Amino acid sequence: MINFYSYKNKSYLASSLLIILTVIIIFFKGLNLGIDFKGGLNFEVRTILSNEQILNVFQEINSDREIIVKKEIGSDVHTIRIETGDDNASFIEEINQLILDHPEMEILISEYIEPTFSDELIKNSLYAMVSSLLVIAFYIWIRFDWQFAASGIFALLHDVFIAIGFMSIFNIEFNLTMIAALLLIAGYSINDTIVLFDRLRTITSDEDNKDSFSDNVNNSIKLNLRRTILTSFTTILALICLVILAPVNLTEMPIVFIFGVLTGTYSSLFLALGIVGDLNYEAVLKARDS
Amino acid sequence: MSFFKQWRFWFSLLLLGFCIYFIQPNFNSKNSDFKINFGLDIQGGYSYLLELNENEFKQNLLVKTIQVLESSYNLQSSILEDQIFIPTGQNIDNLSNLTIQSLGLEEVDRSNEGVFLRIIEQNFNQSLSEMTLNAVEIVRSRVDFLGNKELSIQKVGLNKILLEIPGNLDNNIKDVISKTAKLTLHIEKKTLANSKIFINDETGEEVRVQEIPNLTGDYIQDASLQYNQNEPVVAFSFNKEGSDLFAKMTSENVGSRFAIVLDGALITAPVIREAITGGSGQISGNFTNESANNLAIILKSGSLPTEIKIIQEKQVGPTLGREGVQKGIYASLIALITITLFMIAYYKVSGLFTAFTIISCLGLLFAFMTLLNTTLTLPGVIGIVLTIGMCVDANVLVFERIRENFKNKLENPKNDGFNSAYVTILDSNLTTLFAAIFLFAFGFGPIRGFSISLIIGIISSLLVTYVILKFLLNITSEKYLGLNK
Repeated sequence: MINFYSYKNKSYLASSLLIILTVIIIFFKGLNLGIDFKGGLNFEVRTILSNEQILNVFQEINSDREIIVKKEIGSDVHTIRIETGDDNASFIEEINQLILDHPEMEILISEYIEPTFSDELIKNSLYAMVSSLLVIAFYIWIRFDWQFAASGIFALLHDVFIAIGFMSIFNIEFNLTMIAALLLIAGYSINDTIVLFDRLRTITSDEDNKDSFSDNVNNSIKLNLRRTILTSFTTILALICLVILAPVNLTEMPIVFIFGVLTGTYSSLFLALGIVGDLNYEAVLKARDS
Repeated sequence: MSFFKQWRFWFSLLLLGFCIYFIQPNFNSKNSDFKINFGLDIQGGYSYLLELNENEFKQNLLVKTIQVLESSYNLQSSILEDQIFIPTGQNIDNLSNLTIQSLGLEEVDRSNEGVFLRIIEQNFNQSLSEMTLNAVEIVRSRVDFLGNKELSIQKVGLNKILLEIPGNLDNNIKDVISKTAKLTLHIEKKTLANSKIFINDETGEEVRVQEIPNLTGDYIQDASLQYNQNEPVVAFSFNKEGSDLFAKMTSENVGSRFAIVLDGALITAPVIREAITGGSGQISGNFTNESANNLAIILKSGSLPTEIKIIQEKQVGPTLGREGVQKGIYASLIALITITLFMIAYYKVSGLFTAFTIISCLGLLFAFMTLLNTTLTLPGVIGIVLTIGMCVDANVLVFERIRENFKNKLENPKNDGFNSAYVTILDSNLTTLFAAIFLFAFGFGPIRGFSISLIIGIISSLLVTYVILKFLLNITSEKYLGLNK
């Protein structure tokens, strides 16, 4: 059987590399921020026109605003994003009129967000995420120990952060729905980790157990391995169905989540218990036994 | 163990009844108090997020406070940014700490030059919130003419109003909701002191009037669209107090013009030919049917306390909504069936139990959602998917633990396996539940939609696992479970 605990240093290295890579990618490539976080206008239109033709149509409006047109893969739906500027109200009217004048384009969604409000949304989302992280940490601390809380939160942040890097590489738009996807990854990750924590707690609280800490960790993982694989497998199975069948504007989210399930499984198997060990949880156990 | 002696059996029946009772109103669409509403992203429609101007409101509040200081305490003061300054040389001793507090103020600084006061933040937030509630009612009466019962208007945060209207876009509505509708009447003034010029942008008409209005739209009781020589005009009538003021104003100024000003722009400036005592009048001035009707609606509803700004607007075409829902439901169903088939293939009889558990979890979830009149949005659907994932995970945890106990030849593998697995399930689910509750409390829009279905879903999942799955395990002989190999 695999000695998971002995891989922990290699995993630290791999994860550090991944995190550094993510930082570099986000720093140089940046995030493809949607209008939720940047303000501006967003249109989804169904049309037979190509990206260039759509851009040409929009040239009719005299404006130096940046216009980005993107075709959704495997459909005739295009997303048009226009940055915010002065006098948005009349600008919106103009665009609506323009699209009405071009019957070959059908508006599916149009959306406008004031930049001041998007600042508030960023603050609000951060607030919500940080507070729920603190709750998670607090609960694990109460039910287990602070080493577990620290490790669980680290594994969670690790998965969410790398998922953000993934979104940056593939230029996936970062918006409020994607925040929901990241929360999903966080929920999955912490769930996966806690199941292992619980097993380690059960094993180490057995008084007849004289095994070394690394054996205990390996045992916890071994006993849960089937469950971990089964759950990840069924989740990914369901997500693949969603990717193939979901409406176009929702395909990116399950893809990000599949990535999150993979890193989440990795971080609970190879990182979480290793960190608990390195935070010297052994000493706590010894103190309790003697 | 007999079937009927188990509380779980009766509790399962109870849950079943609960589900049927609350889910069924969703299908016979006629008026029911309990119903799952669909978000705009699912059913199509448009929404506006309106923001009332916080600074303007603060200034108004400061002006009012200054007036109170002058009238009740005989103190002259001035506004410096967001503070009130009372210079020395007056009877400041009138102003005890208690009075300052009762005015909702607190002292910032006191020097030889005077006293600086500011509005206590808590008080300010409370009045801001009350003002927004008031504005919600005004906006409601303005959009009520649509006769669309499904539209929803709610206060968001301290000074925002979210307006959601299912169906097709009505361009009129934007005109109607975003106007402050501050109507003022001013008598023309020939001298320059305390005067102001108002201009009509369309006709270029100008009139110099007294700056402080002689009468405001606050006294208007009713307004409607009428026709005067086939031209649309807005007829209005004042309440008793307004009628008296209007009569006084017109009788004292026969022969001069008065300006009718809406939100700082001149609409028209007719000449007063005779005293108007009936308390009603007409506004004419280049109206179309639509603009006259809009003006009548907003005059009747009263003016908004401050200027309003649309900070977010969204339209979802009905086609996308419908296609999205169909495809989304289709995709989720296929995913669900795939998982269930896999579980049955892997766990045989126990896998069938999982199918039962998932279905009852979904049933309970929708029953709760109906009971709470939840609005289901696409992020909400994602939350449901996560819930199902956690429910399946709970099943896997239980089965694996029972299997392990069989392998170790423990005495009571089924019961002990379930109990120890349930501790794990509780820990992992409760962590997520608490996080979801905080997300719901602090989040906005999609995050809220996601967290509400997650909260309801986790509770349902914990409940059905504990009651229904355990019941099914209890009544099945160990050798049929398929977990003893």
